[in-house]
Amino acid sequence: MTPPIPPVPPAPPAPPAPPSGSSAADAEKRASFEREALVHLDSLYRVALRLTGNAAEADDLVQETMLKAYRAWHQFERGTNAKGWLLTILRHAFINEYRRRTRHPETVDIDAIEPFSVFQEVQDDDPQGTFFDRIVDDEVLRAIDTLPEQFRETVVLSDVEGLSYEEIARVLGVPVGTVKSRLFRARRLLQQKLYDYAVGMGYIKGSSK
Amino acid sequence: MNCRECKEHLYEYLDRELTPEVERDIRLHLEECPPCGEQFDFEKLFLEFLKARCRAQGAPPELKRRILNELFDE
Repeated sequence: MTPPIPPVPPAPPAPPAPPSGSSAADAEKRASFEREALVHLDSLYRVALRLTGNAAEADDLVQETMLKAYRAWHQFERGTNAKGWLLTILRHAFINEYRRRTRHPETVDIDAIEPFSVFQEVQDDDPQGTFFDRIVDDEVLRAIDTLPEQFRETVVLSDVEGLSYEEIARVLGVPVGTVKSRLFRARRLLQQKLYDYAVGMGYIKGSSK
Repeated sequence: MNCRECKEHLYEYLDRELTPEVERDIRLHLEECPPCGEQFDFEKLFLEFLKARCRAQGAPPELKRRILNELFDE
């Protein structure tokens, strides 16, 4: 006896023919992507610059990020934070494809970094920190670039891009407590670098230490 | 709230990451403790300075054109 022939599964419905030109769905996808994703181009570029350390790599990283984001646009949950979503894609692309070629992951133990409080140094001479005002943009960016990578990305996401602790934790894939402690030490270290620079430039009298 | 507890929450306070209750406790402490108040002001000014110095830079127009081309004009 021949075994019963298993029923043939129904063929999946044929996918709609790929639109030859631009369909309404394409136009809608493009419009929503421009509205919700492309508006964050400046933010992505600033973060990319700080991660890669040079303009050409930053261009490529941002372009790559936008391409990946557009391909995955259907996975983006409408109404949630597109900036965080894009930054997560950017950071993964950086780690996977760029970091190897540009900067190398730190070998320093960032937990061992315990910067002092600049306020303690200046509270008698300049408690308002007016010496900071004399430091120009490029010097501040240069100082950020010398931070260990984990500090650098945390400071940039928080102080430059204004993400909340929760959003930063999601982008970096670490607990909120880690964001807090990194942010604390990163800001103190940055402050210290800028203070040292200001002392070197004679903007403020250094302590006798 | 004492000075040590207050300073432990320094950045969370400035970043508006605390519950309204803790935020209020800190505000009360800062009002009656000038040394803590000065330090919080210093750190607040520092964060404002950082933001002001780092946000000027935007993506070059050329990059935007490149991306629009790549995405929409295959």
